[in-house]
Amino acid sequence: MEFLSQTYVALRGPTGAPQTPLETVTRLSDRLSPATLLADRRAAVLSLKGIARSHKQIVGEHALPGLLDIIQNDAEVDPDIGRAALECVHTLCDTLDTQYNLRDLGFVHTDRILENERTIHKLLALLADQDYHIRQCSCVLLTTILHNRAQQAQVYFLKAPVGPGPVVALLEESGDVITRDALRLLAALIRQSTEIQKILAFDGVFEKLFNIVTREGGLDAREHVEDALKCVDTLLRFNTSNQSYLRETGLPSLLCSLLYFNPNVQPDEGVPQEFALQFWNDSKTKCAALVLEAIGMLLGSKGTGLREGYAFTRLLIEMALASNAPTRLKVQCLRLLPANAAAMLPDMILTPYMPVPETNGEEWDRLEAATGIDALLELIMHGEYNGLDATRRFKEGMDLRGTAVAVFENFLREDRVKEAIVSGMLPPENSGLHARSPVTPLLFGLILPPSSPLDRANVVSFQFAAVLFAHLIRHAPQCKALARAIMPPSLAPMPPSGAAPSGGAFFVPADGGQAPPAEAEPEDQDEPQTLLQLLTEHLSLSFLSRSRAGLSEREQRECDRVICSYLSLLSQWLWEDPKAVREFLEAGGLGVLVEQLNQPSEVDVVIPGLCAFVLGLCYEFNREPGEITRETIHPILTRLGVDVLVGRMNRVRDDERIKVVGPDFWVLPCPTPQALNPTFIPMYENETEVWFDWAFVDFWKSNNYTVQRGLVADPNSASSSTVQSGEESVLVASLRDIIAKQAAEIEALQAKLKELSASSSTAAAVTTSSFDEERKALEASLEAERTKRSEVEKEQEDLLVLLDELSSKRARDKAAMREKGMDVSEDEGDDDEEEEE
Amino acid sequence: MAGISWHYVLKFIITGDAAVGKSSLLVRLTDQRFLANPDPTLGVEFGSKLITIPEENKIVKLQCWDTAGTESFRSITRSYYRGAAGCLLVYDVTSRQSFQNARSWLADVRAHADPHLTCILVGNKVDLCTDDAARRQVSTEEAELWAQEEGLLFVEASAKSGVNVEDAFERACRDILEKIRKGVFDDDRSPGVKLSKPANSSLALDQAKGGSGQCCGT
Repeated sequence: MEFLSQTYVALRGPTGAPQTPLETVTRLSDRLSPATLLADRRAAVLSLKGIARSHKQIVGEHALPGLLDIIQNDAEVDPDIGRAALECVHTLCDTLDTQYNLRDLGFVHTDRILENERTIHKLLALLADQDYHIRQCSCVLLTTILHNRAQQAQVYFLKAPVGPGPVVALLEESGDVITRDALRLLAALIRQSTEIQKILAFDGVFEKLFNIVTREGGLDAREHVEDALKCVDTLLRFNTSNQSYLRETGLPSLLCSLLYFNPNVQPDEGVPQEFALQFWNDSKTKCAALVLEAIGMLLGSKGTGLREGYAFTRLLIEMALASNAPTRLKVQCLRLLPANAAAMLPDMILTPYMPVPETNGEEWDRLEAATGIDALLELIMHGEYNGLDATRRFKEGMDLRGTAVAVFENFLREDRVKEAIVSGMLPPENSGLHARSPVTPLLFGLILPPSSPLDRANVVSFQFAAVLFAHLIRHAPQCKALARAIMPPSLAPMPPSGAAPSGGAFFVPADGGQAPPAEAEPEDQDEPQTLLQLLTEHLSLSFLSRSRAGLSEREQRECDRVICSYLSLLSQWLWEDPKAVREFLEAGGLGVLVEQLNQPSEVDVVIPGLCAFVLGLCYEFNREPGEITRETIHPILTRLGVDVLVGRMNRVRDDERIKVVGPDFWVLPCPTPQALNPTFIPMYENETEVWFDWAFVDFWKSNNYTVQRGLVADPNSASSSTVQSGEESVLVASLRDIIAKQAAEIEALQAKLKELSASSSTAAAVTTSSFDEERKALEASLEAERTKRSEVEKEQEDLLVLLDELSSKRARDKAAMREKGMDVSEDEGDDDEEEEE
Repeated sequence: MAGISWHYVLKFIITGDAAVGKSSLLVRLTDQRFLANPDPTLGVEFGSKLITIPEENKIVKLQCWDTAGTESFRSITRSYYRGAAGCLLVYDVTSRQSFQNARSWLADVRAHADPHLTCILVGNKVDLCTDDAARRQVSTEEAELWAQEEGLLFVEASAKSGVNVEDAFERACRDILEKIRKGVFDDDRSPGVKLSKPANSSLALDQAKGGSGQCCGT
């Protein structure tokens, strides 16, 4: 009562005369000074708080510094005044006012608080105050300041002497209000500040947040869990340091446990029903989505040896393919699955579930176990729960199938996997001429004849089958070659309304008149048809049923969709595959295309554009000798007009159905484009539709121009796999040049080598022979010398004999002379001779 | 949980001048490789490592926060001192300046951290002095003396060759475990020391068993 009367006096003023708000506020502000008694100050603060909302500007202008001083000095001493001051400042900073100018005032006041770090540091200290209300009010005020001016407040926070401890400690408090406020403060604090996120992680904020989650009872709890998990999300996203911190703690296994999944699951272990079948509601779904995001971030974070890596991957696959989780969670699981995880699918055994009809999702049938890859294909081909709701084409369901296709594409990364799958679709070997391929789900979806009227579920199955098959054969010559040998088994009898137009004949109504009535031809069951022939036939059938009168707009759209799928699959198959082109042309493909181009729809641009694209592509790659040659097609192109065809192709580019498709966005709202059929009403609300996948759009965009250039080429012009986009062709040309140069060089070198080796051998021969000769000559001369010498020796001997005879004769003559008394010279020789004799 | 994989979690910070090799020491510890040309650390980066202390028969999980040495981040890195159990104060043996600045870093640590924090002075880049003794600007004796005066552990190490890196962390761990044994930290009193609590994460799984059995049909 005393407080009220004091306030009254203050407001009334001493004289009782009416006061302006300004006077009152000034007076009250004066009383905030420390000189005033505490009780009076308290009364003044309470009064100010009372009028703060209605006189925000005046109070802010005059009382704010005083109030901040009170928070600084009195809040710890007197909780009442502290609480009132905090609440009053909070009102002044509030920016949630409905009036625009008042909102601005909140920002102005926040800026004044943030002129220095004093108040922020004090508020952080007060978070650890003994009084509950002081803690709670400081928390709320800090949150508001952070909402208004995050950056400046965050800078002050990082420099606070008390550190982040009080914020983390606040999360430990029990009590709904304080937990809620603490989580809000945390969310505001960590927004876009990596440094704050890290320092809080250092101070154990992850542990505290997960404590809240478990304390409140996991994902089924109603309170706080979502907020806590949102904070976890912010702390992890774009913060690699925190990601590596969290993966090192024991908390990742808790992420599994929160979803009732065993974090230590082994590859040969099954997954309990508690995980596969859970009660789901909206808030649990939101929380689970956040848990899944965290799992995805940890799986994708750098570093090796995440202990929970296998469990995480397994969890994502199990939840996506074998659980009763809400469809949007399943989409998320597949999206978060790492690219290399797809390789695990064939070895993984799953137990899918089906809702028991009429039980409103409360009872579930366990289906037969299947491998992960089978379950994935089943999902793509038929939709969730074996196509339970496939006709509705609701967004999540279609998204799920679209995302599953992306997983399948990851699975096909290696060419040998593609080849193995396509080989599996071939007829068994050595089983005769009439052997047919086994019916795989994919092949079944692909060869389902277009019924009339079209079945909504089958149309989508076919579209996805076409996309999958295109993934298998696109840019894979080996797979294309294998695929040409696929002999689809005959399924059901032909649809009653449609009949195959005669095979090879292509009728072109030159006058642009009505299409000729289809000539019914009995199907020759004995002649096995290849898959390519069958697809060509079905394309023609689809065009036929499209042209029937009396189709509703919806039915026309279904037809268009099917036709687009045929054309996109065929274009990817025929690209760079002359053999397939020939088969397509001879199966009547040319006639079908030309007929459509002769009388195109005025409204739709996509189908004529694609027809022109496929026609141009056929012309481009028609390089095999056969009935229909480039010379045959050329006059047709001239008659249709090359410019016209190019124009049609170019118009496709601007169509929404091509333009908006992105790598992970190809499930479009129905109808797309909206403008095409303003009166069109889809069968179900939020229905979606699929036209083209990104792979095709990408293929089309990169090859459209090549096909256009090919159209103007002369029929005799050389094969134009060289007709490529500028950069590529330059590259190829330069590479060719290099190869040619190198080949020439090699040739020259080889020739030189040969020459050299030849010359060296002759040279050797020459020298050896000359040596030989020389040797012979020498030998001969040696021989001659030898004979000469022996002759000489003999001569010498003879001479010696002669000499001997002479000397003996001389001796005899001397003796005779001596006997006759003649003077005869005594010579030694004689003595010698004599002695010798 | 598949058994207890560690007994204690210890929080470490690595601090010191810019470019003395703090990040390289951490990467050497966690990845056993040498970070040749690291970019300057911005703020703080996290890394962790399991260390076995055989004498105590304990496995310790080291959580290391590698802080930025640049002055502009100093106010941020200060926030980390408070919660740490151990600190590697790093200088560069080829830079006198970095050794002198270690005093101011130590003053910072003393001002903000828990008084029982274990601090080890690490002279990094000794590999540069083995071939070329002239490059050394801080002698082992001088640093050892200063460490003794201040009550710090001391080691010279090289993130490049890996010498003494693990040893530095191990010695700090032993010292902390010693303090724990002597009861310096009352259970959870030091924010940097945590006993592992394996019971924590199995809680939700137990709840799961009771939670959602009813919705399963045949």
